[in-house]
Amino acid sequence: MSYVIGIDVGGTFTDAVAADDSGTIVGAKTPSTPHDYAECVLSAVDQLAGKLGVTAGQLLADTKYVSHGTTASLNALITGSAEQVGFVTTKGHADSIFIMNVESRYLGLGEEAVKDVITTAKPAYLVPKSHVVEVTERVDFEGEVIVPLDENEARAGIARLLSQGVRAIAVSLLWSFQHPGHERRIREIVHELDPDVFVALSHEVSPRIREFSRNATTILSTQVAPSLRRYLEPLQGTLAERGLKGPLLIMQSSGGTIHADAAPQSAITTVGSILTGGVTGARRLSARLGHDNVVTADVGGTTFLVGLLVNGEPIREASTVINQYPVNVPTIKVDVIGSGGGAIAWLDDGGNLRIGPRSAAAVPGPAAYGTGGTEPTVTDANLVLGILNPDYFLGGQRRLRVDLAEQALLTHIGEPLGLTAAEAAAAVYEVQNAQTSDLVRKVVVSAGHDPREFAVYAFGGAGPVHAAAFTAELGARELVVPLGAAASGFSAYGLASSDVILTAELSDPMPLDAAAPDRIARGYDLLERRVRNALTEQGIDFSAIEIEREFDARYTAQMFEVTAAAPAGQVDEAFVSAMGQRFDQRYTELYGQGAGLPAAGRQLITLRVRGVGRMPFDVTLPSLEAATSPVENAIKSVRPVLLDLREGFVDTPAYDYAALRAGHRIPGPAIIEVDTTTVAIPPGRLAHVDEFGCIRIPLT
Amino acid sequence: MTEQPIMPVLGSEIFASRPVDPGTLRSRISDRLRLHTVEPGTPVDPLTYEVIRHRIWSITDEMGETLKRMSGSPGVTEANDFDFAICDELGQEVQVGLYNTGLVASIDYAIQWTLQNRADNPGIEPGDMFLLNDPWVGGGLHQNDAAILAPLFVGDELFGWTASTCHLIDIGGAKPGSANLSAGDVFTEAVPTPPIKLVRGGEMQLDVLQAFIRRSRMPILVNLDINAEIAANRVGHDRITRLVDRYGAATVKAVMKRMMDDAESRLRERLRSVPDGEWSSTGYIEGAVIGDRALRKIELTVRKTEDRLQLDFTGTDPQGGAVNCPYTGMRAGVMFALLPMLAGDIPWCPGGLMRTFDLISEPGTIVDATFPSAVGVAPLSAAWEASNLVAECFGRMMDVAADSTPRVQAGCTGAFDMVTLAGVDQRGAPVVSILFDTMAGGYGARPSSDGCETAGVAPIPQGRAPDVEMTEFLNPCLYLWRREQTDSGGPGTYRGGQSISICLVPHKTPAPLAASFFGNGKGRPAVPGLAGGYPGGPQVDLVARGSAARALLSSGTIPSSLSEIGGDLEIVPSKHETLIGPADALFLHPSGGGGYGDPLLRDPRSVTTDVRDGRVSVHVAGQVYGVVLTDGEPDLEETRKRRAELRSRRAGSGSVASPVPETGGTAPQGQQLNSALVVADGVARCVRCGSPTGSAADPYADSTIVRGPVDHALDGVEFPSELYTDDVVQLTQWACPGCATLLRTVVTAERQEPVADPAL
Repeated sequence: MSYVIGIDVGGTFTDAVAADDSGTIVGAKTPSTPHDYAECVLSAVDQLAGKLGVTAGQLLADTKYVSHGTTASLNALITGSAEQVGFVTTKGHADSIFIMNVESRYLGLGEEAVKDVITTAKPAYLVPKSHVVEVTERVDFEGEVIVPLDENEARAGIARLLSQGVRAIAVSLLWSFQHPGHERRIREIVHELDPDVFVALSHEVSPRIREFSRNATTILSTQVAPSLRRYLEPLQGTLAERGLKGPLLIMQSSGGTIHADAAPQSAITTVGSILTGGVTGARRLSARLGHDNVVTADVGGTTFLVGLLVNGEPIREASTVINQYPVNVPTIKVDVIGSGGGAIAWLDDGGNLRIGPRSAAAVPGPAAYGTGGTEPTVTDANLVLGILNPDYFLGGQRRLRVDLAEQALLTHIGEPLGLTAAEAAAAVYEVQNAQTSDLVRKVVVSAGHDPREFAVYAFGGAGPVHAAAFTAELGARELVVPLGAAASGFSAYGLASSDVILTAELSDPMPLDAAAPDRIARGYDLLERRVRNALTEQGIDFSAIEIEREFDARYTAQMFEVTAAAPAGQVDEAFVSAMGQRFDQRYTELYGQGAGLPAAGRQLITLRVRGVGRMPFDVTLPSLEAATSPVENAIKSVRPVLLDLREGFVDTPAYDYAALRAGHRIPGPAIIEVDTTTVAIPPGRLAHVDEFGCIRIPLT
Repeated sequence: MTEQPIMPVLGSEIFASRPVDPGTLRSRISDRLRLHTVEPGTPVDPLTYEVIRHRIWSITDEMGETLKRMSGSPGVTEANDFDFAICDELGQEVQVGLYNTGLVASIDYAIQWTLQNRADNPGIEPGDMFLLNDPWVGGGLHQNDAAILAPLFVGDELFGWTASTCHLIDIGGAKPGSANLSAGDVFTEAVPTPPIKLVRGGEMQLDVLQAFIRRSRMPILVNLDINAEIAANRVGHDRITRLVDRYGAATVKAVMKRMMDDAESRLRERLRSVPDGEWSSTGYIEGAVIGDRALRKIELTVRKTEDRLQLDFTGTDPQGGAVNCPYTGMRAGVMFALLPMLAGDIPWCPGGLMRTFDLISEPGTIVDATFPSAVGVAPLSAAWEASNLVAECFGRMMDVAADSTPRVQAGCTGAFDMVTLAGVDQRGAPVVSILFDTMAGGYGARPSSDGCETAGVAPIPQGRAPDVEMTEFLNPCLYLWRREQTDSGGPGTYRGGQSISICLVPHKTPAPLAASFFGNGKGRPAVPGLAGGYPGGPQVDLVARGSAARALLSSGTIPSSLSEIGGDLEIVPSKHETLIGPADALFLHPSGGGGYGDPLLRDPRSVTTDVRDGRVSVHVAGQVYGVVLTDGEPDLEETRKRRAELRSRRAGSGSVASPVPETGGTAPQGQQLNSALVVADGVARCVRCGSPTGSAADPYADSTIVRGPVDHALDGVEFPSELYTDDVVQLTQWACPGCATLLRTVVTAERQEPVADPAL
């Protein structure tokens, strides 16, 4: 028997799955342990072993690889436990990271925050001004050295940084991706002074044009690397000690993994580690279910994440925003659109009902938790409406107090507006559904797509409660609540089934229409070699290696690039003109027919190669047995529930998911209680359980 | 300078929009047009209200996305110079976008004009859209701003309007880009066009379209932007129609009305929380055309009574040259300041917000220019300067009440320093670019925090400065530096934000670069400080002729200061055109943010950090902040002595009282005027030492007045105002008669007697 394991360490809970090669999947859930995340990883492994009826040692010994989503990198940035970093850059340009192109004053903020211009502020500086060293050197746009590196000045500046206690240095010089020599020489000088100091060079971390985001990416990566290494090294050691022979793989923002040994060198690629598991899981599932276009709605207690699959593939982006900084890291597009089940309902100064963005999070939590929260949350409203079962929240792990939820709704919403607690709860429910559909719509439309061509996959503890309502409002075709064998950890399932993805890129800006094929060919050759070598270094026996080329281009006079796929094969003039066509096509797809301006000319900015190492292990979803008894047998109880404002409270059957089988049909109104979540089926809808155990609700 | 008087054009008056109340407006609309409306105050349940409100926001958002994505012009994609609105049947704006906040200041006027003048002929019918670029009518500030208004019908009733407006890159006239810095009247600029029916019953009218784009030097790009505006309106219509189908026209309309009422009542409540009073400010436009050295004055008095504002621009100089704005531009200037300062935390439903103020102006002045005055550069000239004055008065008004203090901010960035370079790029192709680095001006300080450094310009909340690498890829130039400029933030207890400076040399180009400059606030610091704080540093643009920069680079040195750059420093006036030759260097520097409070009260440790980080020079630390540093650390004893000495100098005598922070005493109680003054029993007193400074009606009457020249220096190079103007510019400061703490700082031309207020 051989296994693969996926472990997703989230802010509150750690989810894990283990799959074997005969189609068995087991799941585990355990509280995360922020003081030492290794603890919850090991406890999840113990739980998995228990469910499989083997010892943890046996499980690990037979495990081909462990795929791990971790908050370690992101936490290091958020909690400020990042390394003290020194920054070396071109003379005259130290302030790039303080000017921040103006945009970091508002980048990544919501509409309300952007609008309150006076209170917007730039994020904390990446490094203090005293930790920046300018060196005399200058390269121009085509890589010509205008001023050679002044090595003595560089040595003196670096010595000053070291004397200030700096142990990690980020080097990012203007145009270094066109002429890396100066950055390399600076690394040598640092190591001449102290061979143990960590050095990151911008042309290695992110050889992409636009110095501000390259500077920021290089510095952030330098800050994260040491703490990621401090986390991964002992974890690898412990897992090996307990018998793991296969590699520990770390999930990246790109939706693919990387070997733990190599992760610290490109640390910044792991910041989106825990955000992408849901999308990769949905990708696997969508191939089985035959959905080309999918919106993923991953709703937990504190966040509401939306991702997209188009033609079966995640939407990839070349950059992301972290803490208001633009960061060059290949990313699966995942948008945070709300604050999940803990979103607080409140009245604004005009007496209008508002929901979020503030969240009660896990502490103090919704009022119904009875752990000190007094403000009403979406979860409180769902409880008062009868949708949630106070005795069976998260499978009974937490008892909910209806009285406290009612009190909170009454005090903060009901009394000021002249509503009963139930009316207030209904208002919160409806507003939340309508607004969620507005926000999900924005994500779909701004990616250039029509929501009516999508299915929605809703998961996470708080997702399936509202999903049927907002999916219908959105106009999407079908709602899928992925359950069944991987129910407890859809993200972990995604992890276990992920491939290794490594990316290399290089900016080489040039007018595309007159580009010399040689120059593009040299660029792609170099990048492909880099990616193949890096895949080899992962030490995994991939079943296949796929190389994909893409490029960033734009019409002259536009500000930002659009990423398009480049053809495979020989780079010749036909290839270059195909690049132009593919760019036009992609642009039209995103912005509509007639939107582009080819007459202005096209500029090629960045070449990129993505290498995918397919894992030699196919995680399959086991089938659920077909129903043999009537669905009514699965009804646990009947209680008054409000799922549609016009109909009010209606006696509604609550089904026990554990008693449902493939082929069961459940007419709405109905509630399905799963040990990890609650699915609401509105009146007039007909849900069914599919062969994998997913709940499906066709909507059109 | 002598100039031709503007001769009135008979028959042009009908294009001059003025505010009109809804009742009068209704009576002026042809009976042919049936308007959908609901009774005022029609109730909507809170749930439905919030669902529809959010959806209307989401519709505006989608309109903006559509416009931005489809447009090909850099003004839209880079400078966010566009906006859009959803309006009710009378054109009152229910929801607007977060882009150029001045563009939506007169969409309502454009619609109201159309309702009054187009309903009979050619008629306002379902599927129609009207195009206009006439700033006197509305929909924008100058001819480049083209608005498209789209009436939305439900059945046979006019339910409401959507509108998009966007800066078109070139709509003809004497100069490329349609900004003629030598314009004497509108006939030497692009032609304004009142509303014309571009789309009839859903179909684009090709003759109308071509008549409009024919005037442009870049018709393809203009066509694309017009398509984008039409598409944005169609998205808006499609989604509003679905909303109406679902909830009914009456409910949706009731929500729209209530959204405006809600915003209005919240702004009124804010106004009520501030004591009534009157605040005045004076600003200037430097040079009306290229070569002009005169200052033109804008006067503003803001009167606040209960929950109403009156903004009175009486006393402003007569129109002339190229720097005027029409009435709509003045209103845009008000909205530039009002939305962020008074309504940052209130929904942006201008139809409600705009009911709280009245504008008073004299037609024929630079803020209310009449046809055929030149108005082609209105946003960057009179409108922007007007917004600086409005911001200053609002800042002082809000400073009077402790509740509103968190919304107080000194002046931000001042005018946009617009610099355009044209030439031959490194690949031999023609190139024209605006250097958007100058977006990175400083924000004003607040009563308890420093201004944001290199933060942007107030009218465009999401402006952006490009990366050096991208500018160098697109343009034949090499940046020697791009940095936060020392001493550019206005000194104060809380310092104004620093602004950027860049210095570049031409690189790998066979020809000189043609540079055009349009700025304001060079001959005097134009960004006001508050509560005694100093103004932000002025704009400085320079050309170093025959600079040593190239030789230094060849010898392995990168110059990093004006003195190292060498050559003859040629001061660039506010409006100017010149050539940058291969041996020249170009230095650009927009204004910094204004300071808040007396700089002598700034924590010496903060000044020390500022000096260490290069934000303040040792010289300014000693002379303005009175902080003496020894080996980079504050010498507290010497600092105390220096500060006492500076106070004595202000007082003009040897002895001054010590202010509270140094004596540890308690501040006098009373109605706050700002962080420096309180009023109790009709007497105004200094918060720092308790000395009376005047009466409640004239709180500065007994204060000490200190006058002096405006001096500004960068890298040791002085920039006296006489380099720019023949008017004498001076700094006037009111100081406490007891402890000589600064109470107010203003900059005026000498012929102007500065008025100290507020008068409560």
